[in-house]
Amino acid sequence: MSNPASSLPAPASEQIRKPPRYNSFRLQLRDNLAWRILAAVVLSMLCAAALIALSGHNPLTAFAAMAVGAVGSPHQIGAALNRTTPYLLAGSGVAMCFRAGIINIGAEGQIAVGGIGATAVALIWPSALPELAIAASLLAAAATGAVWAGIATAIHLGRRVHEVLATLLLNFIALLLVKQMLVRPLGQFGAGFLQSPQLPAATRLWRIPEVDAHFGIVITVIIAAGLSFVLWRTRFGFALRVAGNSRPAAAYAGFSLPRLTWSVMLLAGAVAGLAGGIEVLGVHRRLIEGFSLGFGFKAVTVALLGALEPMAVIPASLFVGLLEAGSLSMQRQIGVPSALVVVIEGLTMLFVLAATVRRV
Amino acid sequence: MPSLLEMRGIVRSFGALRANDGVDLDVQSGQILGLLGENGSGKSTLMKVLFGMLPPDSGTIVFRGHELSHHHPAEAMAAGIAMIHQHFMLIDAMTVVENVMLCWPQAGRVLKTADMAARVREASRRFGLDLDPDALVASLPLGRRQRVEILKAILREAELLILDEPTSNLAPTEIADLLTILRRLRAEGKGIIFISHKLPEVLELCDEVVVLRDGRVSGRAPVAGASRAQLAHMMVGRDLVRSHVPPHHALGAVRLSVKDLAAAGFGPLTLDVRGGEILGVAGVDGNGQIEFVEALAGLRPVGAGTIVIDRCDVAHASVAARMRAGMAYIPADRSATALVRRMSVAENLMLRDSNHSPYAKGPLLVRGPAVAKALELMAEYDIRASGPGTVVMRLSGGNQQKIVVARELDRAPAVLVAHQAAWGLDPGATRFVLDRMIALRAAGAAVVYVSSELEEVLEISDRIAVIANGRFAGETPRAEVDLRQIGIWMAGRAA
Repeated sequence: MSNPASSLPAPASEQIRKPPRYNSFRLQLRDNLAWRILAAVVLSMLCAAALIALSGHNPLTAFAAMAVGAVGSPHQIGAALNRTTPYLLAGSGVAMCFRAGIINIGAEGQIAVGGIGATAVALIWPSALPELAIAASLLAAAATGAVWAGIATAIHLGRRVHEVLATLLLNFIALLLVKQMLVRPLGQFGAGFLQSPQLPAATRLWRIPEVDAHFGIVITVIIAAGLSFVLWRTRFGFALRVAGNSRPAAAYAGFSLPRLTWSVMLLAGAVAGLAGGIEVLGVHRRLIEGFSLGFGFKAVTVALLGALEPMAVIPASLFVGLLEAGSLSMQRQIGVPSALVVVIEGLTMLFVLAATVRRV
Repeated sequence: MPSLLEMRGIVRSFGALRANDGVDLDVQSGQILGLLGENGSGKSTLMKVLFGMLPPDSGTIVFRGHELSHHHPAEAMAAGIAMIHQHFMLIDAMTVVENVMLCWPQAGRVLKTADMAARVREASRRFGLDLDPDALVASLPLGRRQRVEILKAILREAELLILDEPTSNLAPTEIADLLTILRRLRAEGKGIIFISHKLPEVLELCDEVVVLRDGRVSGRAPVAGASRAQLAHMMVGRDLVRSHVPPHHALGAVRLSVKDLAAAGFGPLTLDVRGGEILGVAGVDGNGQIEFVEALAGLRPVGAGTIVIDRCDVAHASVAARMRAGMAYIPADRSATALVRRMSVAENLMLRDSNHSPYAKGPLLVRGPAVAKALELMAEYDIRASGPGTVVMRLSGGNQQKIVVARELDRAPAVLVAHQAAWGLDPGATRFVLDRMIALRAAGAAVVYVSSELEEVLEISDRIAVIANGRFAGETPRAEVDLRQIGIWMAGRAA
């Protein structure tokens, strides 16, 4: 980050007395928050180690197997990165909402409908225009995700239903909608499973050589960085942070709370929808029932683990991605059930919440 | 006959402040005692000491012949003291009888709901409370909820009831009913302490009044024979404070013109303030001040009327449009409205100006100039913080308020509406805030200074209006202030 002192007209002595720093704006990373979150992660790993020991395995061997499974080969790194992508996208969108004081737990449904949007456009896209197929599909995914978040927002603002309820319940409808779509318009006839036909080759996401990850991870990191920029460097982000800290102060500052709610919800819905689109285009290559299972809910964990800072959601989602990718190999190698990861994730969530509780 | 309650020499300090400084208070059975005093005069502290919520530094309390010391509210209740708070302590989702049974051993380990309901009905009939034991509290109007609290006190055989501002949330007919109920309780031999700001009620109901000022008893008189003017003087009475406004200077044109403004909680109100003039709005808290200033600032919808700033009607304009028209606003609620406690000094200085230079360029924030501006304002307004990045909640109240003043005044507003701008500040910071108001007046702005601290209003106003029950009870130029008259206006009766 550049040094703002150069742009200051104040005399040198003044600057020595009151050193202005860019980072002085970033109060949310005060009080050793990063260390406390790290401590929470370590604590949850220790608890997991104890559980492994209780089940009669050596925790060190188990963790080693997990690490090898996650980063042991380029291919495994690629799998972990693919796993990270939806968490990072949905998590940074959720973080923006939470920053604005809007508890959006609808990422799950927004991912699901994003998958529908991407699949529908990919399947009907004219084969004469293959170079635009990916862009069109991903745009459709973002748009459907935004629409789904928009429905929740309309219910929340229009009928004063609490946003937790509106976003949460729409998740279940979205999951059923995926199923319905696979039965009728998008389903593959006679497949035996609820799934769509394979998507046309033109929609295949470019893959990063060597590691074999799709380039969704690249888009995702760029978007997370962009959201961080919006949060800290734009008027809109400032308004979001004010509203999240104090609604009366936001009204006093002249910010329109409904407009802020609409904007941040549509934004979060769009990135979650995009996550669904990337998952379909990059991983499954078709719409499958339950393809989004848990990503949206765990996005909330990831957002909190990243202290609601989109840039910090990058390592947070990487942590979860590596953990999940490594757990399967741990199960194969030494027989510790991969469900242990769910335990670790749950414990991490609890410890992080305890470590970051806001003191009044 | 010994007194029901004898409090002797009660002293209670908070740091350097002596909230109660040797207070004596007596209540007899079958007596209603009115306890009067301005905000901060020590009424609440005294009642908290009595009820065992705060231990006194010294002094004794004797209730029904037994000394109460080191007691908790539960012990005070067991001894027969009941406190009815301004905000009721009821569970809305439960019925009347369930609320009565709550925390009451006599209700039985296995709740004797039917028995209790019968007792509720019986007591309700005897005291004219008109309460249905099976009604849900949430479905009751505020006046009825208060009666549930009174009912709880009666059933627990309280001999002394303390009512803290019991009429402030009630409609006029509910107030009349409450006074009737209290008279019945008096007839049954209960002692009652009735805390109120409203003189007419006190005169109508009480047998004796005690007035507190600055933690001491400043007056004590039987109501029979006392005149309203006497009571008002006891309550407000003080030596006239010196005016701090420089002598009269040329007034400009009318910059703020409010006509027949009305909304929930106040109105209609009409006022004109000229450039270079400070209009002080005095009055006891809760008489429509917050509703009035928030309607002016655009935080509450306006029902009727106009608000004209320099010929531009902003009555239905947004907060941002009002700021563009030249309105600045210092809200009374510093911690959640005027400031964002968890954000930095620099961010709070730009809170209402983040959409223009030097803070923004298009949709982007520009940090270098913003930090420079923050440093400039911190120096100009003497905001003591280790840097512009210091989080505001770490600053003292005085420094926090200086941020608000700096932000609102730096815009060179045409009109400033300030509500309790010196609330909770030490004398130095109060002086600073008042001086800035006076400087703004000299610069030709129109200032509306709303405060329940009469002293501040007297200090800086060119003209004083008194608000009571949401309307102006009277208005007078500073030079012709008659404190007795102001007291009567504050007490809710127009001259």
